[in-house]
Amino acid sequence: MSIDVAKQIPLITLVGPPNSGKTTLFNYLSGKNFKTVNYPGSTVEYYTCKIQEKFNIDANLLDSPGIISLNPNSPDEEVTVNSLYNHPEFGVPDLVIATADASQLSRHLLLTKQLLSAGFKVILVLTMRDLLEKKGLKVNTEKLSKLLRCDVVQVNGRTGAGINDLIISIEKNLEEIENHRKVQPYTISNQLSKENLLNLYSEIENLTRAVIEPIEIPDLEKINKQINILNPVLQESSLQPDLFTLKLDKILLHRKYGLLFFFLIMTTMFTSIFWLADPFMTMVDNFFSYLAQTSSELLGNTWYSHLIGDGLISGTGAVLVFLPQILILFLILGLLEDTGYLARGAMMIDKPLSKIGLNGKSFVPMLSGFACAIPAMLAARTISNKRERLLTIFIIPLMSCSARLPVYVLLVAFLTPSDRPWLGGLLLASIYIFSIVSSIIVASLINKFSKKLIRTEDTSSFILELPAYRIPKLKVVLKNSYLNALHYIKRAGPIILLLSLVIWFLTYMPNHSPQIDATGLNEEEIIQLEKSERLATSYAAELGKFIQPLMTPIGMDWRIGVSLIAAFAAREVFVSSLALIFRVTDDENIQSSLLTAMQTATNQETGEPLFTASTVIGLVVFFVFALQCISTIAVSKKETGGWRIPVLQLIIFTSTAYLLTLVTVNGLKLLGIN
Amino acid sequence: MKTAAELKHGEKARISDINSDNPSYKRLIEIGFTPGQEIELVNTSLFNDPLAFSIRGTLIAIRRNEADCIILS
Repeated sequence: MSIDVAKQIPLITLVGPPNSGKTTLFNYLSGKNFKTVNYPGSTVEYYTCKIQEKFNIDANLLDSPGIISLNPNSPDEEVTVNSLYNHPEFGVPDLVIATADASQLSRHLLLTKQLLSAGFKVILVLTMRDLLEKKGLKVNTEKLSKLLRCDVVQVNGRTGAGINDLIISIEKNLEEIENHRKVQPYTISNQLSKENLLNLYSEIENLTRAVIEPIEIPDLEKINKQINILNPVLQESSLQPDLFTLKLDKILLHRKYGLLFFFLIMTTMFTSIFWLADPFMTMVDNFFSYLAQTSSELLGNTWYSHLIGDGLISGTGAVLVFLPQILILFLILGLLEDTGYLARGAMMIDKPLSKIGLNGKSFVPMLSGFACAIPAMLAARTISNKRERLLTIFIIPLMSCSARLPVYVLLVAFLTPSDRPWLGGLLLASIYIFSIVSSIIVASLINKFSKKLIRTEDTSSFILELPAYRIPKLKVVLKNSYLNALHYIKRAGPIILLLSLVIWFLTYMPNHSPQIDATGLNEEEIIQLEKSERLATSYAAELGKFIQPLMTPIGMDWRIGVSLIAAFAAREVFVSSLALIFRVTDDENIQSSLLTAMQTATNQETGEPLFTASTVIGLVVFFVFALQCISTIAVSKKETGGWRIPVLQLIIFTSTAYLLTLVTVNGLKLLGIN
Repeated sequence: MKTAAELKHGEKARISDINSDNPSYKRLIEIGFTPGQEIELVNTSLFNDPLAFSIRGTLIAIRRNEADCIILS
């Protein structure tokens, strides 16, 4: 197969170490504001675009995750390095733009040197010259360009100054390429022995010594020339980290209080996700209920009206109801990340987490799990160690996600005596503490058996740059939260929608037009009664009856079983399906009428009260452990690259949930709590 | 033979070698821990692990066992 090279649009790939200003540069060239990150390796997904029209260059631009060297050290880096040599979709880059922080030149030139020796055509872009200028230094770009034998330009990420020099250089380089055949760069990762690396570094040190010069202020020029010794002194001063950062770290990374600040910041953040998202979630929920209601009013009491209203619209609602939380979670995480604090949090929490086989970098994904397991699993990609990453993904479903909250609220309301409402809050808090403690125990148990369960041995490591503190760029963080939310909708949306339809089918068929005694009932009551009848005679009910032998030992009957099955679409569906199956027809105040219904319900097998303190506490335990979320399973499959881990998660967590519920219900009964 | 893991808070020293027994040694070199560089222990976490070093004008946190393969002169 011959490829007409001349007609192909050239490919330019952006490569650079974390925190080198690579993504800011991408934003400038693409005209879109993507992410600028502080947390190494956080641009996991590739971003690609055409170069902005105003620059008049017809080329594809590819942004890649930050890498330190061409010798990959994590799954992310491996993907980046491999696709740098030959991208599965875009092929070999015609030109590589390498970014380097001018104030971190000696460290950041490593990658550029490797790129050059691998045979890539490279333009080096120096960023953050302002940081270097603060120290009274500058880079002699002409000299550096000669020594490296590639173009070197300086671009200011904040103002965009110097971008035109880059455009000119790109044009020039692309013209040169047109007259030559594309060269396939060769893999150099296997040549990176210790000696090679050290030689490379000493070469780079000689380079930087030659190109970093004091800023020539006319008056001082003479003096500088007279005292040649000044250069080494300046070199030493350029090696000082940011002073403000050092001072702030004395407080925020304090040996004793650092962790306290950390927990304070995290608790504030975590609770604010709830109260900030809550009104928006109610809005989304109400909007879709309204939409479903309107559509059923328009289409009448027919099966397709139910499919559209209860299946399609409610299913879409189930996808979008988590959007506010995901947006706010990513917004707050993004702001914290951009300030440079998250890396420090990971450092402080690394030791305790390493005790249970996790990593400091597991913390953010675990915390995100309290909002929703789906973005949490995506966030786990920043963990370079494969075993730790898989273990983190493994235990994320145990974090009490927000979908469990409505269920807990209902069950807690049932347990709370009406004269002591404050007890409810206490109970809810203890459920969360219980879920945290259990996830720690489960994580350490799974870690013990990790050889068998996760099947990956990998040496644990924690090497993380602590970037200088800075004011976060709200605009960039906002844009990034938006992109993450979009990503969630695209990735999880179709699966959730499809499964909602499956659950709708199971709860609707085969008795789609049930016969009921409608005497003396108004139209609305008829519809509600039909709904209840339909559910009671549905496939889901049959499934529930099929698992009745499992429900009897835990003191429950098939009706709770059906609701537990329905909850696989989304956990909070448990509440609405309980309402349906117990024929709660009062739409205005579903919770209080459901509570009344629960109090009077009797077990159809034994005739005893169905909802007692013991069975309700048992249900709480079940919800803490059970993996009842098909979307989570789907994302886990994608993120772990196979069915092994999601299936194990489903089996282990759901059977643990069942066994512990069994023990709880019967234990409590033995203790006389009923 | 003193290693970076034995540095006291605020203490400075120069790297003489990186012990290649540690599986992370290449990454340590790549990130800038090379012989001849001066490092300073600037922060320790509550459990004395990981440790944050100032090197080449930036701060890098590494675990104690990783610091242990950085040999000082």
